Amino acid sequence: MEPIDIRPEKLAEEMADYSRKLGKGLENLLNTTEIDTGVTPRQAIYREDKLTLYRYQGADGVTQNPVPTLIVYALVNRPYMADIQEDRSTIRNLLNEGQDVFLIDWGYPDGSDSSLTLDDYINGYIDRCVDVVRKQCDQEKINILGICQGGAFSLCYTALNQGKVKNLITMVTPVDFQTPDNLLSAWVQSIDIDLLVNTLGNVPGELLNWTFLSLKPFSLTGQKYVNMVDLLEDETRLKNFLRMEKWIFDSPDQAGESFRQFIKEFFQKNGFINGGIRLGERLVDLNNITCPVLNVYAEQDHLVPPDASRALKGLTGTSDYSEVVFPGGHIGIYVSGKAQKTIPPAIGRWLREHV
Amino acid sequence: MSERGFWNDNLLEIQKKYWESWNEISGKASVVEGASPRSPWEMALEHWWEAVSPAAPEMARDFMTRMMDQGKQFFRMAALFSGKAESDGQATDWRDLLNRLSDEFRSAGGVDSSANAKHRLHGLMGFWELPFDNWQHMALTLSLLQGDPFRNMRQVGWQADMDSLFPTSGLGYTREELAQQQKLFKLLSDYKRALQEYSQFFTDIGSETVKRLAEKLEQKSHKGELIKSARALYDTCVESCEEVYGERVRTTEYIRINGQLVNTFMGVKHQVGVMVDANLGALNMPTRRELRTLQARMQEDRRECRRLRAELELLKGQAADPPAIQTGTGRKAATTKRKIVSRKKCSVES
Repeated sequence: MEPIDIRPEKLAEEMADYSRKLGKGLENLLNTTEIDTGVTPRQAIYREDKLTLYRYQGADGVTQNPVPTLIVYALVNRPYMADIQEDRSTIRNLLNEGQDVFLIDWGYPDGSDSSLTLDDYINGYIDRCVDVVRKQCDQEKINILGICQGGAFSLCYTALNQGKVKNLITMVTPVDFQTPDNLLSAWVQSIDIDLLVNTLGNVPGELLNWTFLSLKPFSLTGQKYVNMVDLLEDETRLKNFLRMEKWIFDSPDQAGESFRQFIKEFFQKNGFINGGIRLGERLVDLNNITCPVLNVYAEQDHLVPPDASRALKGLTGTSDYSEVVFPGGHIGIYVSGKAQKTIPPAIGRWLREHV
Repeated sequence: MSERGFWNDNLLEIQKKYWESWNEISGKASVVEGASPRSPWEMALEHWWEAVSPAAPEMARDFMTRMMDQGKQFFRMAALFSGKAESDGQATDWRDLLNRLSDEFRSAGGVDSSANAKHRLHGLMGFWELPFDNWQHMALTLSLLQGDPFRNMRQVGWQADMDSLFPTSGLGYTREELAQQQKLFKLLSDYKRALQEYSQFFTDIGSETVKRLAEKLEQKSHKGELIKSARALYDTCVESCEEVYGERVRTTEYIRINGQLVNTFMGVKHQVGVMVDANLGALNMPTRRELRTLQARMQEDRRECRRLRAELELLKGQAADPPAIQTGTGRKAATTKRKIVSRKKCSVES
């Protein structure tokens, strides 16, 4: 039996349908107003250089956890992923779970930030934000929720400042940066990071985008747009697609020195596993983390493979370690309908048990 | 009439009518020109786009272009397969087609090769060019050079061409300048070589993808499954591409090629920066190197300020609430801290 049976008349029909959708799509694209992101009301409570610390406004009538939760997002991409639209917002769902949510928005670094080191970010910016939150909520210790690279930062921060952290949650956080399935890590081993940073100063978002898209180039730069044709007629779905597209390409440049350090210490030397990560004059030892730890990771994560996250187990000094596994990908854990129903409630439940 | 009004009322109406008419004609014709690289559908699509695109906002233009490019690609491929099947009805047609495609990949020099243009078939299956295109696009955003600077260079003997530009070392006043230019051309040669190797790698992937597609089609054939639409065929091709790509980019060969591409590109960019700085310096303008030094010093001063402020706060606290007994250890710690601060201050000033 022949596997291909595309009849000419069927093909003509398909082409006509494609064209009709494109025509209608153009109409919808023209009518699309500006893409809004970040939907939950919030208030800026602290600013420093490019960063802004936000406090989110919770729903009325929800019993609030007295211990606030500070979300530390990655330097890569923008944090509105966690609050991308009305019905897909990890932050909103955490608020509904009674959590008092704060978030660090790193902003867009420029040339004047190129000398910022990881020490400046972690023991500088994050520490000052933690102090602001502690003061505002009148709490000695707060919860920290680190996302992706922000999770790695949170691990470092907690290891060095355990006295200020009550509970630590890491989401899709790489710990073992050299698992065999970590394609990003494999690629970066042969890159001359010193030459790259010395040449570029800050590392442009475009370069990072190229790297991420290169993980699955045919799906992410080709097939995706064919799939989009099917969404064009539905204004809401089109807008959701455009919102995601905006997020994907909304890539801030990376402060050069921090990037250099992150790639060398974490990717090339696998510092969490092999030890030796230094921030300023202090050595990061994950064994100093003694607070309860919740490690949330995604089973089909192509950016941070599950094994890279699972490696956290046994590395810290805590006796209270748990995991939540999400059956989806790196982005799906924030934006999928399934994630909305499972992840924030699981985090909320765990935090209530650890007040 | 506002531009918006024109879009909503007139042009959209025109394009609707255009597509309705075209659909009607194509329905009546119900004949697809098989392997033609530009089918009537594609030409109609291009004419339509030429008419409506100039006034479309950039975001819409970008999306539509991507969707049209992909659409053209998968319809070209489907037309090729369906056209052959229709014309002679041979049971081995798709296998022959894939064999020819595989041969073409083997004989092509790389995705950036001018030899590509001669190959009709693999031009129809252009997915495998995507990773290379992505790199070119990204490199452009970081480069002063517009377009592909190597496009018109001959594929063989280019190295000798470049070497002949600067055959000997310079002398006297121009020596340094010439040496910098020679270095740049050497780095450009390295980059060109890395780019060729990268593109050859993707040509190999293309060839392997064709084999994988053939295997998938064989499997479907055995299972009695049918691909009945252009979209299904396209999805199967993408699946094949992604599978082969996923396997090959994990190899040490690719890790080396990829690293070489990025490193040689950075080498060129770095050298261009050095030469631009030299010219800026000659014009008494601030150079990038100077700015970076200033940025680094400023950041170090900020750190120092914070450390001193923290120490001041600590001392204020101690002054307001002095410990009952000053222990020897405490005195020693305070002294050590002062030493550290003063040493750092010195290193900043030096």
